[in-house]
Amino acid sequence: MIKDYFKGPIILMSRLILGAVFIYASLDKILNPGDFAKIVGNYHVLPFGAENLLAIILPWVEFIVGVCLIIGVLIDGATILVILMNIVFIFAITQALARGISVECGCFSVSSEAGSAIGIKTILRDIGYLFLAYVVYYRKDHKIEFFPKSI
Amino acid sequence: MNFKNHIFQVYVILFISIVISLTVNLLSSKPLPLLSKELEQAETIDFDTDKPILQIISLEQAREFYEKDILFLDARDEAYFNKGHIKGSLKNIFFMELLFNIESLQSKQDPLVVYCGDPGCGDSEDLAYNLQKAGFTKLYVFKGGWLEWSAAEYPSESIK
Repeated sequence: MIKDYFKGPIILMSRLILGAVFIYASLDKILNPGDFAKIVGNYHVLPFGAENLLAIILPWVEFIVGVCLIIGVLIDGATILVILMNIVFIFAITQALARGISVECGCFSVSSEAGSAIGIKTILRDIGYLFLAYVVYYRKDHKIEFFPKSI
Repeated sequence: MNFKNHIFQVYVILFISIVISLTVNLLSSKPLPLLSKELEQAETIDFDTDKPILQIISLEQAREFYEKDILFLDARDEAYFNKGHIKGSLKNIFFMELLFNIESLQSKQDPLVVYCGDPGCGDSEDLAYNLQKAGFTKLYVFKGGWLEWSAAEYPSESIK
């Protein structure tokens, strides 16, 4: 089974990569919730009014999840959230692409720089994160994890 | 409190995130309202008021504005603008250029109508908010946009 390889440094690497990515992704949004709310609104998936609430809470979920993965606390819960968030992101991006809405990704930055628009690459990247989360969730050993202590 | 339960961990992380995020938002210098408010539909239009306005107008009201020679701004991309737009409207390619063009025609207290493609596009509202930040005080968002205007066969023009 492929899962038998999920041990040792591979786990730690996956955790650190995911943690760093999620913390990095959260920072700009935490600093500019108003701009992020507009980007969320442009995806046209939330009923009008709810994008502010999501723009306030989601960046902090990303941040806390990132911290948990890096410091080794509540890793299973954090990994489930990484998986759920990425599924939602993939869904939101796919429906926007399918409907032909051109939106800023809002993935790592809320400013509209060139190259930050959504596309197939964005979806592939999220699938990559899903794989890393899968590796962490089905890990065989629990090194450098502090809470809850397993076994 | 079974912290080994994965779903319980999810709840713990979500709870901590919600508490921190709402607290930070509340304490920030510019707190975001928890629910964004939809713009209000204008019932009657008072052309002589001095109060700042940011409202939605219907097709018929937009027509009334058009008859009064009020400036229309097209919030869509240039390609759509070139294909067809409300006659006499200005395009928004560079925001600074647009500001310059508006101010060469009228003052910041004069009314402006902003529109985009159809009722589903948010560009007209975004542009209206940006204009509000830039100091314009009487802003009307024509939600029906180009879709309703062109369907009604009201005066329009295109660039070839």
